Amino acid sequence: MNGCSALFQIPRARVYGGFAIVAGALFLFAAAALPAAAEDKAPPTSEQCLGCHGSAGMEKKLEDGSILQLHVPGDTFAKSVHSEIGCVGCHYDVDLGSHPPDKKDIPSPRSFSITMTQVCRGCHTDKFDQWESSIHAALVRSSNPAAPICTDCHNPHGVIKGAAESVEQVPCQKCHADIYTAYRGSMHAQARLKSADSYAPICSGCHSAHAVKPTAEGLGPEAACFNCHAGLQEAHEKWLPNTALHFEVVSCPACHSPKAQRKVDLMLIDSKDAQPLGSDDPQVGVPLFEASSQSGSKGIDAQALATLLETLDRSGIAGKTVLRGRLEAATGAQAHMLTDKSQAISDCRTCHSSGSQPFQSVTISVIAPQGQRVGYGANADVLNTPISLQSVGGFYAIGGTRIKILDILVILAILGGAGFAIGHLVLGWMFRYLGLYHPAIGGHRPSEDKGPKSV
Amino acid sequence: MQRLYIHPLPVRLWHWTNAFGVVTMILTGMQIRYVGLINVVSFRTAVVVHNTVGFILIANFFLWLVYYLSSDRIKVYLPEMSPRKHFLGSWRQAYYYGYGIFRGEPNPFHISIYRKFNPLQSMLYQIIMMLLLPVQFYTGILMWDVKRFSAQVDFFGGVRVIDTVHVLIFAFLIFYVLAHVYLGSLGHTRIAHFKAMVTGYEDVEEAAPGAE
Repeated sequence: MNGCSALFQIPRARVYGGFAIVAGALFLFAAAALPAAAEDKAPPTSEQCLGCHGSAGMEKKLEDGSILQLHVPGDTFAKSVHSEIGCVGCHYDVDLGSHPPDKKDIPSPRSFSITMTQVCRGCHTDKFDQWESSIHAALVRSSNPAAPICTDCHNPHGVIKGAAESVEQVPCQKCHADIYTAYRGSMHAQARLKSADSYAPICSGCHSAHAVKPTAEGLGPEAACFNCHAGLQEAHEKWLPNTALHFEVVSCPACHSPKAQRKVDLMLIDSKDAQPLGSDDPQVGVPLFEASSQSGSKGIDAQALATLLETLDRSGIAGKTVLRGRLEAATGAQAHMLTDKSQAISDCRTCHSSGSQPFQSVTISVIAPQGQRVGYGANADVLNTPISLQSVGGFYAIGGTRIKILDILVILAILGGAGFAIGHLVLGWMFRYLGLYHPAIGGHRPSEDKGPKSV
Repeated sequence: MQRLYIHPLPVRLWHWTNAFGVVTMILTGMQIRYVGLINVVSFRTAVVVHNTVGFILIANFFLWLVYYLSSDRIKVYLPEMSPRKHFLGSWRQAYYYGYGIFRGEPNPFHISIYRKFNPLQSMLYQIIMMLLLPVQFYTGILMWDVKRFSAQVDFFGGVRVIDTVHVLIFAFLIFYVLAHVYLGSLGHTRIAHFKAMVTGYEDVEEAAPGAE
């Protein structure tokens, strides 16, 4: 168990409750003490705090050499929703009599911020619980230094209600800049920018604000499409054959982000519980994939994939390991280039013709311990060789991923049928030409012999 | 020449519905599988026509089945139970089509009301009607709505497996239709058998002494 995990198991402190106890104790102490001492022990007012911390450039050099910013712009804090609770609402442990402390053990700004998340939790328990279930928290627990905690998205000294729902200020853009740029150009962002009353979603509308789940699980964003766009199924059924199948194997952005490149992701699934295999599974682990992916310069080839699946099945995994194919935008950013439905791809040839772009890029994926998908490049031939019958039996786009050898069979059938007829005709003519045709022995009357006689 | 009523009306209706249906299925099937290479109609139109005609053919198949099950004409499909006789008959028929016909030899098979298929036809039609067409219909239905029948699709190994079986039979039917139309032209005139399948009457020659 790492340090972060331990941190999140601290019993929840009720900040206000704790603060009330501290304030009550201070009050009793003050009643028995001298008036001068009472002034020293009273909680500082925000004005007192900002008297020092409002000065630009106030900072503290930590032991590891990093800088902890101590400056709080007074005007920003005044506009913040947190100004109502004042500085001690969060920094309840500050005692003016001993502040600043001679020594405070703060290893790094990051560790300080992580510690302070417990203060956020005191008031925003529900949001904190949601965050704890998120991919962000999972990454924090795995010591990912870039994973966001409360203060990475919400400036604690400048929290403005609704700011996180503004296209301009949405905090997700700090880490997901490429996705944000794509989103800015999408119909959703444009609608939102045009009208403040628009119900078009911002990031949290599809991914949720705090319980952010990795898209690899295939549960979040697409369900969000259905939540807002009522009647999707019926609308598609009017023109799209096999609608339910398309909804299962084609992600919404694959068609509704028409400028996106598309790819096929084949996820390894344990058929027993229909759950994706995890990369932390020793039998599936990264080394196995990496070994397979080295079998060809273009990634895992058809034979290596079939061998891999056989290996997985031999290794004692309870259910048969299968690949679940899905057509999707090539990158997360491209998945956000959503347009008006009038521009969406509705030409079946985009996917159903041989050599179409979506099937030129293939990944084989598993789920990392934190929940995100880990994809390994595969050769496009995994989709259209005879071996694919065994390994990718569950994913097939008519025309687009057809098995080439069957085309040869179809051509042979045409040539064979036509050749049989033409050959038979020619032989008949040759026998006549060579005088080998003797209708008399067949009982035919010569007058009827104007062609091969039969049946 | 005598005229025998070989093809009753229900059989003729079934046959021509089947004929035009199968040809339509082949053409739309080609369009579906080779969109981009063939662009006669849109992919979607081809799929809709393919599905619609497919269901018509399935219904037509059951009309055929019910008719024969309720008619004494079912005898035409009863197999030759003697393997020796069947083998010899098949050999004679294959020899005739492969050589005898060019020499002007008589057809070893003589059609009659309750025996209208020669040994080769008898074997082939039983395979087509009792195996290939039902499998083709079944795989077609599975692919018509893969999600609805996902349990069965998965049972057989996935939609790619289902499609491959469908395409294998598709390829056979392409060959079969071409060969069938040509062989149909080998009557005493080129159009004799086609006419018979319209009128119901086949022109039948008197059997030569010793002929089957």
